[in-house]
Amino acid sequence: MGIFPRRILRIMSAFWFTSLAAEMEYRVNFLVAAINSLGQLAGTLFTLNILYRKGYHFAGWSWHEALLVVGLFTLLDGMASTLLSPNLSRIVQHVQNGTLDFILLKPLDPQFQLSTRNMSPWGFPNVVFALVLLVYAGMQVPLPAAAYALGIIPMILSGIILYTLWFAVATTTIWFTKVWNATEVLRSFLEAGKYPMSAYPVAYQFFFTFILPVAFLTTVPAEVMRGQHSAAFILIEAAVALTLFVVTRCFWKFALRSYTSASS
Amino acid sequence: MLKKLRILTVTQHALMLAYRAEIYLWVLAHVMPFLMMGVWVTASRSGAGGAGGGGGMAFALTPVDYARYFVCVFIVRQFSTVWMIHEFEWHIVEGRLSYFLLRPMNPLWNYVTAHLGEQLARFPFFIMVLAFFFILYPQARWMPSASAILLGFFTIYVAFALRFALQYCFAMLTFWFERASAIEQLSFLPYVFLSGLLAPLADFPEPARRIAELTPFPYVLSFPAQILMGQITASSPQLYQGFAVIAAWFAGLCLVGQFLWRRGLRRYSGQGA
Amino acid sequence: MAVIDVRNLSKSFRVSASDPGFRNALCHFWNRKYRQVDAVKPLSFSIEAGEIVGFLGPNGAGKTTTLKMLAGLIHPSGGEVGVAGHVPFKRQKAFLRKITLVMGNKQQLIWDLPANESFRINGAIYDIPDAELAARIAELAAMLSLDKQLSQPVRKLSLGERMKCELLASLLHRPEVLFLDEPTLGLDVNAQSAVRHFLREYNRKYNATILLTSHYMADITALCKRVLLIHQGSLFYDGALAGIVEKFAPYREVKLEFTETVDRMRVAPFGEVEESLDRSARVIVRREALTSTVEQMLAQLPVADLTITDPPIESIIAELFTQGTVNAPASATKP
Repeated sequence: MGIFPRRILRIMSAFWFTSLAAEMEYRVNFLVAAINSLGQLAGTLFTLNILYRKGYHFAGWSWHEALLVVGLFTLLDGMASTLLSPNLSRIVQHVQNGTLDFILLKPLDPQFQLSTRNMSPWGFPNVVFALVLLVYAGMQVPLPAAAYALGIIPMILSGIILYTLWFAVATTTIWFTKVWNATEVLRSFLEAGKYPMSAYPVAYQFFFTFILPVAFLTTVPAEVMRGQHSAAFILIEAAVALTLFVVTRCFWKFALRSYTSASS
Repeated sequence: MLKKLRILTVTQHALMLAYRAEIYLWVLAHVMPFLMMGVWVTASRSGAGGAGGGGGMAFALTPVDYARYFVCVFIVRQFSTVWMIHEFEWHIVEGRLSYFLLRPMNPLWNYVTAHLGEQLARFPFFIMVLAFFFILYPQARWMPSASAILLGFFTIYVAFALRFALQYCFAMLTFWFERASAIEQLSFLPYVFLSGLLAPLADFPEPARRIAELTPFPYVLSFPAQILMGQITASSPQLYQGFAVIAAWFAGLCLVGQFLWRRGLRRYSGQGA
Repeated sequence: MAVIDVRNLSKSFRVSASDPGFRNALCHFWNRKYRQVDAVKPLSFSIEAGEIVGFLGPNGAGKTTTLKMLAGLIHPSGGEVGVAGHVPFKRQKAFLRKITLVMGNKQQLIWDLPANESFRINGAIYDIPDAELAARIAELAAMLSLDKQLSQPVRKLSLGERMKCELLASLLHRPEVLFLDEPTLGLDVNAQSAVRHFLREYNRKYNATILLTSHYMADITALCKRVLLIHQGSLFYDGALAGIVEKFAPYREVKLEFTETVDRMRVAPFGEVEESLDRSARVIVRREALTSTVEQMLAQLPVADLTITDPPIESIIAELFTQGTVNAPASATKP
């Protein structure tokens, strides 16, 4: 394993084992999370159903193709609840309680520590529902098996975009310790990814493409899976993901510098 | 009593001002109505313009009315959101409830005034968001009649009382379970579905709408929103029907809440907390 | 060579001042007013390997800021720092492996899990092989007399046990330099002395350098031969603990017992009378006049017994800090 040396694997396994063990202390939450995510999904499908049974359809998206987008959104949401939210919503706490100091004192990249320290199983139900929905929708469209293989690439890129957006917002807490709600704001805007972009007015589409790139999270991967301009879409998304990653990394370094030159 | 409440509200407002950054962000975190507005306005436009070849599409409202409906939903949510369960849970866990019990006043009022103070602190930013929206989308601008505003805000606070009563009952469960807020979260699900947050009730399929109207949820969101936009006026029978349903639910929840409060308090003091 | 070498180290913050109220918040948003706060004024000192040095000062004197600059958490505004041959704020991995910072008011252990789990994480981060890690945990646990506490969830431990576990977690990588910020904060007397005992032993065993702050003078007197006194961001004493008395309390208390009743008026000429009873008296005498005064007392008064005592160090320091009578010697001196 070239990219993942043994030390990193050991650290990650220690991180995830301990955070799983800690989450297990609160088992009721798991049940609540499962019911909740099922309910959220049902709500989205219900609204979609109301629209489509009127004979309306999002421009260029059949019912099953729209389900594909809902499935991709649910998958990302599940991954975010499992990997992103437990870590990035804690950055604020670290800054408020001053425990960010402990992270900076460790001989390991702080961004890596903050991003991988925790994982929570709460997103698993979402991932399972999403996979079921994706397979069902894919069979109905119908999509060839190759589409799924092709879809993995933009999904990974979406994951990276989602991570960078979230991490960038969480980073701002270094200056404004009171804004724990900031990641919630981001999350509520990301909800727009539930439906394909053509569901929204042009102004929204502009905003969600160029200002907050929600379009790349679900609509673009779904386009790739449908086999429309796949190569071009993947290239553009890769460029967006890479740019955001680099920018976020610089932003974080900059924030850290101001933390270490101002905190007391 | 009124004087006490006023003073409590004023101090809570001062306290909330210290958290205003959070509160403002919280306003921004409630963009859901605006997202749904986008979806419904786009949908109804294509229906009206016949772009999708759908002359037969039966949308309940015109594009502009969808925009107004969801703006009203946004407004109603700003003034009827209840979060007392989180604070109550915290007070129980930290044993702070005891301080409130020492006061010659039901602790309930502490939470009520905290909400009022928070709404007051949020108000300027709320107005800014609203103004910003109407600048971006001037077609949706309209001047509701004075009676719609008066009646609308009265209904919003009736809705607030109902939601408060509901959450109060869930909060009382904290006396028995550590994580009552997790249980309460589940009640949020039917709220998202049935309150008209995602789609106006008029667009629901008939059976779904019937079921929704039996629950308290449409009355805390869609009902006041419709009054604000002038769809339901003082002369519509729906108004009185709506108030009757709210009153019935409210009375029931108050009884349950009061019962749980008494029982819970006995348990709380029994534990010597 | 000194392990810690600090030259003209200083830190100033920009603090924005705002008033409450919505209108003020708006004004504040557009037009921020800042004021400069000098948390640490240029200070210099150096510490040799194996020393335990106490860092004293009232709240807000700049102790924590200085410690954090030494640990690389805060970027200094000026001056130079060297710790264990590194520049701290570069936060090189090699540097971070050599130091540790323990903060009595913050905890790194995972609240809901046994401390052992947190140790595993530190083991992975510091790259300590499993067998070695187990050996180190066992060794430190024995020194701290911890045993089954390590397998209980941290939230169920007492404050003292938690602090011991924090120390254990911070020392797993065997740092050469320990920065301790109030390590005994809030602990009861027994736990305090256990922590002190452990620190002394660790220092001896690994020749570790320790710089610690504490509000409990007992910590300082038990552990440190040398202290740094800091007040309002500047260092005004650096030297032996005993030297504080010499330097800042140029008085002695002379306690006299007489063979017969002595009137207060007869004692008064020798110094400030603190207490005068029939057959005894307490008099405060300036140090430089002590010998001659005692001679005269013995000659002129019916003295049965005479004792000379130093005022207690706690009260000297407390007085120094509360009265701000720190004006005395402006420059720090070394013994």
